[in-house]
Amino acid sequence: MAVEAPAKPTLADKIYDKMFHNYVWKSIFRTGYPNTPRNQMLVVATNVFLHLHPTRIHRTHVKVTHTYCLGGLSFFMFLGLTVTGILLMFYYVPSVERAYLDMQNITTTVQFGQLMRNMHRWMAHAMVILVFLHMMRVFYTGAYKPPREFNWVVGVILLVLTFLLSFTGYLLPWDQLAFWAITVGSNIAGSAPVLGPKTRFWMLGGFEVGPESLIRFYTLHVIGLPLLAAIFMAVHFWRIRRDGGLARPL
Amino acid sequence: MATTVVARPVARPQARARDEEVLVWPDLVFIEFIAAMLFTITLFFLSVVMNAPLLDQANADVTPNPSKAPWYLLNLQELLLHMNAAMAGIIIPTIWLVILGAFPYFDRDNEGQGVYFGTEGAVKITIIASAIGFFGTWLLILWDSGKIAFFLNDWFQLSGGDSLRFLENARSMQSQLPWPDWSREITYLPFNLRILDGTGSGGPTTFQHLDFPGWLVEQAIPIAFIVGLPSLLIYGMWRMGLVVTRRDALLALFGGFVASYGVLTLTGTAFRGQGQELVFPWELKVSEGIPGQE
Repeated sequence: MAVEAPAKPTLADKIYDKMFHNYVWKSIFRTGYPNTPRNQMLVVATNVFLHLHPTRIHRTHVKVTHTYCLGGLSFFMFLGLTVTGILLMFYYVPSVERAYLDMQNITTTVQFGQLMRNMHRWMAHAMVILVFLHMMRVFYTGAYKPPREFNWVVGVILLVLTFLLSFTGYLLPWDQLAFWAITVGSNIAGSAPVLGPKTRFWMLGGFEVGPESLIRFYTLHVIGLPLLAAIFMAVHFWRIRRDGGLARPL
Repeated sequence: MATTVVARPVARPQARARDEEVLVWPDLVFIEFIAAMLFTITLFFLSVVMNAPLLDQANADVTPNPSKAPWYLLNLQELLLHMNAAMAGIIIPTIWLVILGAFPYFDRDNEGQGVYFGTEGAVKITIIASAIGFFGTWLLILWDSGKIAFFLNDWFQLSGGDSLRFLENARSMQSQLPWPDWSREITYLPFNLRILDGTGSGGPTTFQHLDFPGWLVEQAIPIAFIVGLPSLLIYGMWRMGLVVTRRDALLALFGGFVASYGVLTLTGTAFRGQGQELVFPWELKVSEGIPGQE
């Protein structure tokens, strides 16, 4: 009985084999592409980045038109802003003497500096819009209803944090646009009854926008508010899972 | 028989319907990846073709006209033109955020979740409330900037004369009515009460006299509008039988909010020129504030 000889491995097969079946690769990715349902669930459950997800999800929730990915994209903007923000931090010193010069440097002499700055700016605008649209999506799908009441509150806090993150970043270029926008913005805060002037003073570190304001806004922008937002985001995502995933009709 | 116990529905996660579920990998992860890529690529190309603005170095002595807050605060800056600064900038947004956060504690019904506009009449309520919010806000802005009186006069030669002048906008109720002198300084505290001696621009906060016309124009009328008009909207829709449940009331409130928030942001961004004058977007010019140069 003749047994059919196995086809000879092609060059592509050999390259594939060398690339993905070697010792180093397997030390990083222990298994190949997960092509059985069991492995696909394991991938989600055991991967540090994917385990925020459940392993299975109701089929209506993978329809793009159900969420338009708005919440996920808001988070993605946060991640992108972190990456571009860190790159900008390499070149930016938050002092009145240097801030504007550094901005000019970033936009003229730093490789891809202008691109990074543009990305950071447009992503920030996109994040504000996406967070607002996400709120509208949650409202119109009634997803704040029990048992998700508290997660809606966390969401409102995250909306405010998003505004604050964007607002504190607005001063950093130290150009006329930044300076006067923050002057107007902090005057609004200063108009609060009783506590207004004090609040404004604490916010700016003085009576008007100056060096102290710049370092305050910078510190809040790059570490204080992102940390706070990350904590609330962690609660937000955790609660989605705890409350049974996305809302669906009864 | 014991009395019937009506249990409040307990908030519990819904039971899972296993046979209706799909795997997160690949079904969801794939979609998330595509969405992230789409946004990365779009924003990348946007960043290639459009530079973030960088004006001259900050200069406290040179004030651009108009000076504007970041765009997402321009709704508040727009409100600021029409009323007391503390109310527009702090009190109204704070109260609104609290109301917004309290939505789920007001509407505790489980009905209509998980699908867009899941309750009966939801789309209708949203459309009506948004339309009223949209046009109502525009009308109020036009009225308070005196444009309505201007158009009536300019297009139809209608003029109320001096006797009706106080209806031109909110501010003219303060300036065009014959208020007696005493009404501009009504003493309501027999002593001078100072709360937190002011630091900086605020000045000392004293609570002693009431400037009635000023109070009417800056606080009473705006509050009446901001509280009254949405209440009236919900009440009217309730009388018409459109708003029945608490969810319906929230739909009307939220729809109206989104519309007027949008109009306020848009007006503040694109329709406010020098001196915060109401202009068309194509007439909008910013003077850099350089002395001797318009």
